[in-house]
Amino acid sequence: MTRISKLTELKKLMRGMEYSMGLEDLTTVERDIYCAASELAASSEGAETVHMLEHVLVTNVSRPTFFRALKSLVNKGYLSNRDEACRGCYTVHKPYA
Amino acid sequence: MSEPEESWFSYGKEIFIASGIYLLAIFLTFEAVMPVQRILIPDFTSFASLLFLPHGVRILTAWLLGWRSVIALFPGIFLAFVYVGGMNVFEPSRLTAIAITVLVAPGIFQAVYLLGWDIRPQADRMPCWPCIMVVGLIISLVGSVLINFALGSETASYFAYLIGDFFGLFFLMLIMMFIFRSLRRA
Repeated sequence: MTRISKLTELKKLMRGMEYSMGLEDLTTVERDIYCAASELAASSEGAETVHMLEHVLVTNVSRPTFFRALKSLVNKGYLSNRDEACRGCYTVHKPYA
Repeated sequence: MSEPEESWFSYGKEIFIASGIYLLAIFLTFEAVMPVQRILIPDFTSFASLLFLPHGVRILTAWLLGWRSVIALFPGIFLAFVYVGGMNVFEPSRLTAIAITVLVAPGIFQAVYLLGWDIRPQADRMPCWPCIMVVGLIISLVGSVLINFALGSETASYFAYLIGDFFGLFFLMLIMMFIFRSLRRA
């Protein structure tokens, strides 16, 4: 194991602890979008932006806030673009599990 | 593994970092935690610290490096014994205690792995921190029994060492969690 990967393992360990303690750094909007995406992904292959926008948890969120939060969720590794062809399709990742 | 990673320089750095952090944890425990402990719990006369941070360093080093932690931590643990007990460090009981301190953590990690519980760090999965806490507790239990036996301490110290080790590991992980968290936000 390289020196960098040792540091990565330590960081992963601490992120896991952070998540278990409910200290993960998601805003309320990010959490709502993640919950909506998780629910949508449970019934189909992934979650699509159009369906997320219609979800009851997200309907009150303005579009700019929604897209900012969506981008943040992708950056944090909670969501990822499913494929190049479908830009609004996301795969939901279980955080630190 | 690439050649530079296997170099002596790399091993040297590993020793320097692991032993350095261990000594820092020892210094913090004896110079900051224990004086506060004496003020807060004046009736507690045992030599044991109720927040023994070096145990956390030992556990995390053994988890990350496996048997290599023996070499990485040996200088730090030896110097810690010198710092705490002076030149008594060459007495057979002290040398036995050093050997136990160095060997128990990687030994228990290896034993739990051989028993089918693989909590070693791996690239494709998230580490299980409660599992590390449990193994840390087992290491503390085995270590404190063996070390107290080697040093001939009182029975009450067994529990004090156990409590100190458990909270030492937990609080070290908590401190590291907040350090990583603040670095991420910086």
